[in-house]
Amino acid sequence: MTPLQILVTLGGLALCIFIAWFFWLAPKGQTRAADGAGGAQEVAITVKGGYTPDVIVVKAGQPLRLLFTREESASCSERVLFPDFNQSALLPEGQEVTLEFTPTEPGEYGFQCQMGMLRGKLIVE
Amino acid sequence: MIIKDPVCGMEIDPTTAFTTREHMRQTFYFCSASCAEQFDADPHKYAMSGSATTGFNLSLPLSSIEIPILGLKKASQVSALQNALGAVAGVRTAAVNAASGIALVEYDPQVVTLPALIAAVKSAGGRVGGAQTRIGVENLRCASCVQFIENELKATPGVLNASVNVGTQEATVDYLPEKTALASLNTAIETWGYQTRPAASQEPVDQQQAAHEKEYRRLMNRFWFAALVSLPVLVTAYPQFIPIVRDWSMEMLRLAWAGAALLTLPVLFWSGSDFFSGAWAALKHRSANMNTLIALGTGAAWIYSTFAILFPGIFPAGTSEPFYDVVAVVIALVVLGQALELRAKGRTSEAIKKLMGLQAKTARVIRDGQEMDIPVEEVLVGDVIQMHPGEKVPVDGILVEGSSAVDESMLTGESLPISKKPGDEVIGATLNKTGAFRFRATKVGKDTALAQIVKMVQDAQNSKAPIARMADTVSGYFVPVVMILAVLTFVAWFDFGPQPQLVYALVTAVTVLIIACPCALGLATPMSLMVGIGKGAENGILIRSGEALQTAQAIQTVVLDKTGTITKGKPELTDIIIVSSRSKVESSRPSTFDLQPETVLRLAASVEKVSEHPLAQAIVEGAQARGLELEGVQHFEAIPGLGVSATVAGRRVLIGNLKLMDRENIPLGGLVEQSKSLADDGKTPMFVALDSQAAGIVAVADTVKEDSAEAIAALQKMGIEVVMITGDNRRTAEAIARKVGITRVLAEVLPEDKAHNVQLLQAEGKKVGMVGDGINDAPALVQADVGLAIGTGTDVAIEASDITLIKGSLKSVVTAIEVSRATMNNIKQNLIGAFFYNTLGVPVAMGILFPFFGVLLSPLLAGAAMAFSSVTVVGNANRLRSFRPKFSAR
Repeated sequence: MTPLQILVTLGGLALCIFIAWFFWLAPKGQTRAADGAGGAQEVAITVKGGYTPDVIVVKAGQPLRLLFTREESASCSERVLFPDFNQSALLPEGQEVTLEFTPTEPGEYGFQCQMGMLRGKLIVE
Repeated sequence: MIIKDPVCGMEIDPTTAFTTREHMRQTFYFCSASCAEQFDADPHKYAMSGSATTGFNLSLPLSSIEIPILGLKKASQVSALQNALGAVAGVRTAAVNAASGIALVEYDPQVVTLPALIAAVKSAGGRVGGAQTRIGVENLRCASCVQFIENELKATPGVLNASVNVGTQEATVDYLPEKTALASLNTAIETWGYQTRPAASQEPVDQQQAAHEKEYRRLMNRFWFAALVSLPVLVTAYPQFIPIVRDWSMEMLRLAWAGAALLTLPVLFWSGSDFFSGAWAALKHRSANMNTLIALGTGAAWIYSTFAILFPGIFPAGTSEPFYDVVAVVIALVVLGQALELRAKGRTSEAIKKLMGLQAKTARVIRDGQEMDIPVEEVLVGDVIQMHPGEKVPVDGILVEGSSAVDESMLTGESLPISKKPGDEVIGATLNKTGAFRFRATKVGKDTALAQIVKMVQDAQNSKAPIARMADTVSGYFVPVVMILAVLTFVAWFDFGPQPQLVYALVTAVTVLIIACPCALGLATPMSLMVGIGKGAENGILIRSGEALQTAQAIQTVVLDKTGTITKGKPELTDIIIVSSRSKVESSRPSTFDLQPETVLRLAASVEKVSEHPLAQAIVEGAQARGLELEGVQHFEAIPGLGVSATVAGRRVLIGNLKLMDRENIPLGGLVEQSKSLADDGKTPMFVALDSQAAGIVAVADTVKEDSAEAIAALQKMGIEVVMITGDNRRTAEAIARKVGITRVLAEVLPEDKAHNVQLLQAEGKKVGMVGDGINDAPALVQADVGLAIGTGTDVAIEASDITLIKGSLKSVVTAIEVSRATMNNIKQNLIGAFFYNTLGVPVAMGILFPFFGVLLSPLLAGAAMAFSSVTVVGNANRLRSFRPKFSAR
């Protein structure tokens, strides 16, 4: 092996480890739901190539109001699903869509677009 | 009369005013041209202002409005609301009625507008009811006009809130239908010089379709651009194959490559901009998806190529050739794939569109004694609606005047029109056939049966089937794994590949990135569910979730409740036997006595007409169905546990069981045997005696539905064991079971033990589907792996059931299982296809075949494969649309 090959090999392995760390192991930022009107907790979520914020911490047993605004036309993200709560909503471009339900059991629940390309996580405490 | 100039406040005589303006159906008078000009600049400001000092303008009357408040429960809320409303400047009184859910507010419209009141309600934690509409606004460009239009709309009486979106060119207005006519909203927008048009549509599905159409055009534009650029770029990429180009000198080629580099830039950043912005957005969330793969693959190809032509010296000999063709062609193909996928996706929601298309668009309501046509969205609960023959019923309600026959086949599958008289329920979206009638609306908007069906189907279409869980888990790890594989591929080729190593390493790594298709995996389940559940709905089968659908295909045993499921659930007259000559109901053989079956039936029915027993009702209906005139009854007496007696036309009639005949010492002779054989057939015989002499037997039974036997045979043919469950005695139960071809009968089961019996069947290791009526059988439906509730058309919200059969027929059970089997097969095909595609495609792209056959996958082919794999998945899901149930729906 030439020195260049050894360098490329080591660099490649380092890159693999970085990819694994970056996507799976590194801790993600969390957003806590704020208290909104009528005793519900409220979070506004922007949909553009992903959900911002995508990790949301909410309290169990308190009504949750999620305000989605989709700012892209790609049809992938036109629906948001909360499979564990049997909730879904169509998100027309540029329109704020409200999804309301009450999470009762603490735990981690995923939410996603119809085909699972965009994902987020709801952490119920 | 003296009037105030709204601008300067000067008091002027209208007859001598300098000029006038019409605004919001009100005339304003001005003292001078400059005042009028100021007014023209912002009429709203002046039209709305009251007295600057008091807030009240006493020259105008107060307005009062009823604001519907939703979800009012606690008394504390009521007072909080009342205080919040009362505190708004310009409100004279505010009274909140919790029972009716209405806040009655008297206010000065010059000082306070409705949106301010609504804001007050919201700040106190209340939610406001009302209707919402969207209006398209043509050529809306400037952001400041948005403000004007919004204010104008908010000032229109009855408008609760209004917002205008420049992006969609639409205004969304919340309003109280009692106060606002839709036309006045249009007028409000038009006063600002804008043309209104119908919004994309009220229906979310149509709206979605319009959005898809727009997105399709956007994608196709990007595709055509990339495709056009691809042609010259391909020429420069394979100069050796093109006649003139092959003779070009190296300098000439290098120049052409530089041109290709520039040409492909807009392809990357315009045609492929979604990939890059999507990849960046995903990266910010520490996630990766298809966009990441395409962006990395094409981006790496472009950067390498550009380096290669800029600094040919730093690359080993033979490696300084660019491959811009990969950039242009792959982006063109993937964008085309997305466009085709979108087209195919649109067709998956056809079933919902059909359902929504059933909704009537307008209704003719009678308000203040006047008939008027209004959009169906504006119909209120309590409105009286006039119907003529041939019209669609707009909303659900109760018939109050007139009568007609209504075709409900679109919702219940019942092919015969149902006759309706005052007090009967009419369902929205059904078709009035024969008569004119008026009905009072009881359910409107999203509460109607149709809206609930649509909602339930949509929710189910977007739920998850357990089978998708695995695909979901896989796709969560998929993209980073592919990235790692691409890096490893690069390293392997760089270290061990043939010369030129760098080119091989880069091409294979890019091919791996491009061929991997997480989309196909992600699309596999949702697309098939969408079509399959829609197909069920078309056939009158409402499947609550993907999970229910997946379990239904695995049903091994179907438990059928007898009453109301296999049978009609209502007794009917089946036999009339007269003494010493047995005859079926229809025959009228003369007998030795002067006794005819009709005579016995007529007398029996006359007596039973007075009785309230359900079996008596069956005899009366049987007699009426045969056109017999019933007679007056005297001395009626009900003998508890035995029967009844009465005098009809001078004859003493006794109807009852064996005990009654014994007590009255009436010899029965051969009738006893005959009654036993009737009982063996599952019928309930009743002896009839005339003047203390046995006359005959009338028998009633809960008859089997016409199509039950056929449906049960079909289930058995599908390899499903059919079990009947009933509270009836074993003899009756087995008689019915024989008739419909069921061998396994669970008889004499108390209603509360049904669930336990289902559990016993499950303990045999079987997946059990329970079919029942949803009310009495609810615990058994819940216990079963799949609960199928037989509904009666409108009660779709049967909580206990996983599947609701809105037609009363058992054939729906067959269709439900067929639909679920077809859908699950389709999902499996999709998943297996997607898995195979990726597990074969990625290793081939890595070059696993190279050591053996010397073949490598071209990145161009990889791009084509990737683009069309997801189209194939959606296309396969669309094949389900041609599913035809064994028993046709209509």
